[in-house]
Amino acid sequence: MIKFGKRNLRIPKWQRPVYVVAGGLTPFRKKFPEYKLEELCAIAFRQMMQENDLKMSLKDIKGLLNFAAYGEFADHFQDQLLCEAKVHDYLGLDPLPNIGVKTGGATGGSTILTAAMAIASGYADCALAMGWERMDEVDTKTGNFYISTAACKDFETRLARMYAAYYAPMARRFTEMYKVSEVTRAKIAVKNRLYAYYSPYAQQSGKHTIEEVLAGKIICDPLRVLECCAMSVGAASMLLCNEELAYKLSDKPCRLYIAGGTHTLRVADRRHMDIPLLPHEEPGMYDKLLREMTAQNGRWPGFESFLAARFAAYMTYGMAGIKNPLEDLDLVELHDAFTISDLQTYGDIGLRPYGKETDYIESGDAYFGGKCPSNLSGGLLGTMHAVGATGIFQGIECLWQIQNKYDKFHGDPKIWNEWADVGEYKGKPRQKPNDWKSLQVPNAKKALWISHAGVGSHVTAGLLEKAF
Amino acid sequence: MSEKIIKYIGTPLEIIQEKPEMVVKWPRTLMHMHTYGKLSKFFQELKKGKLFATYCSNQDCEEKRLWLPPRADCPDCNQPTSWIEVPNPVVGKIYTFTKVEYPGEGIELEYPYFQIDVDLGPQFATIFKGYLLYGKPHIGMKVVAGFRIYNPTNTILDIFWVPKK
Repeated sequence: MIKFGKRNLRIPKWQRPVYVVAGGLTPFRKKFPEYKLEELCAIAFRQMMQENDLKMSLKDIKGLLNFAAYGEFADHFQDQLLCEAKVHDYLGLDPLPNIGVKTGGATGGSTILTAAMAIASGYADCALAMGWERMDEVDTKTGNFYISTAACKDFETRLARMYAAYYAPMARRFTEMYKVSEVTRAKIAVKNRLYAYYSPYAQQSGKHTIEEVLAGKIICDPLRVLECCAMSVGAASMLLCNEELAYKLSDKPCRLYIAGGTHTLRVADRRHMDIPLLPHEEPGMYDKLLREMTAQNGRWPGFESFLAARFAAYMTYGMAGIKNPLEDLDLVELHDAFTISDLQTYGDIGLRPYGKETDYIESGDAYFGGKCPSNLSGGLLGTMHAVGATGIFQGIECLWQIQNKYDKFHGDPKIWNEWADVGEYKGKPRQKPNDWKSLQVPNAKKALWISHAGVGSHVTAGLLEKAF
Repeated sequence: MSEKIIKYIGTPLEIIQEKPEMVVKWPRTLMHMHTYGKLSKFFQELKKGKLFATYCSNQDCEEKRLWLPPRADCPDCNQPTSWIEVPNPVVGKIYTFTKVEYPGEGIELEYPYFQIDVDLGPQFATIFKGYLLYGKPHIGMKVVAGFRIYNPTNTILDIFWVPKK
């Protein structure tokens, strides 16, 4: 669809408000031989139920549940069809209904959307949104092939069998079109991996330098190794409910808004279209940019931007009454599977106008202490991309920020010690750093996260708002 | 009368690690089919050295441009499309590209190689992904389609691109 019909841009209207009260995570590791998948899900479930200051016991909250949505990227990786059934049984939730959700890298966001729709419609008063991925039962080359089957198998997969090779042409085009220095992309890798350094859940944190990023080996030109996320194992669990239960369960509930968008799986099939404008954007503001694009044989969204992200943000901003994202949001969590996907999204969700995306990084706005910091969780580059869990992990990090619980969940030595010696850190424990610092955003009230799939094929924009 | 004993006919799994918890290898070989459906003509014609696109012949549909990769149905009006040959030589311009250094398992091209996206001009709705047989790409570089008519692969790899002289 390149022209919208009269009601395509209708803002979603829920029947009643939806709230999020709790989240739980496992640590994320490239290899995690200590636990089976459902055991990891149980770990995330327990943290959600028992560590979020909920005012009821685990058993009593289970007694409130009506529905579960489960996110998993690929049956290939799990080597288990109907993993949902195994996890649901393992958590002791039968015979409550559950639905498995699959939308590539956006699976986590779509899983929350599914659970939220259950609450909003009245189907459920209390719902679980859980996601997972186990990517360590095949080697990296096989894993890359599995992921590349999320490109078009007829016309694209055989041309790389490696997902970075579908983002790299976007990086090339974005760089040429907007004259972007590779240093800006490197800064994103440095920033997000540094923030992961403060997270006990992170699998590949590090204090890297720009020079180190730029000296890294090329994976798919121009993307270098530290600009790409890694295979990951882990789970994330979120508890959603209606208004009545939100305040019975928690002193710090957050109101949830979430919406989705899509676009063709094949980037090269993305036909030129008019840019749908966000609330703070003026008609005509992109005329010059579009003229310049045309001069370079370009198109919108083309290889530079994600219509799905713009569409999802448009909807979510409409639902939540966001007028200007940079002014109204206190923090964001973006899908930095690659530095380029992070950078591209700044324009799509209106943190900067299209063509000025780099300014969000260069101005300092994106950093802790900046106007609207991004990926304080460490993001996908630094902390995790256990794909089915990712969008839920991002939402939970937003929740904990608004609840003023960053320190509780990231600074507690007990959490660091519990997970220091597992996965690839076995025998070389990852300890809480002596220079650990809090990344708690003071008085955060609104946080947005973008869950993104397949070169922008599916995107959800979730927004949590302080409701206490 | 003795009862038939059920024998184990598999191959015992190799242990990768026993501690802290057990992990074993689970080898397997799987055969998949790949159904080309109504796009079969596209792949059959590549082997003859011909490139076929589709277009929407519904007079009421606004999208008149060609689809490449082809689609058997128009995404705008949802009516079946028609085939048209793109005359040789097929010339396009590189829209963007990457050098594939670490492809995934089963890659059929010798690597590293350049994956390129080719703009075939305004009569096409789409851009077409392929690979460069030789040479070094840059955005805007003119390329010509070539076809693997000898020893075809029966896949999209039967079309490639070479720099236009």
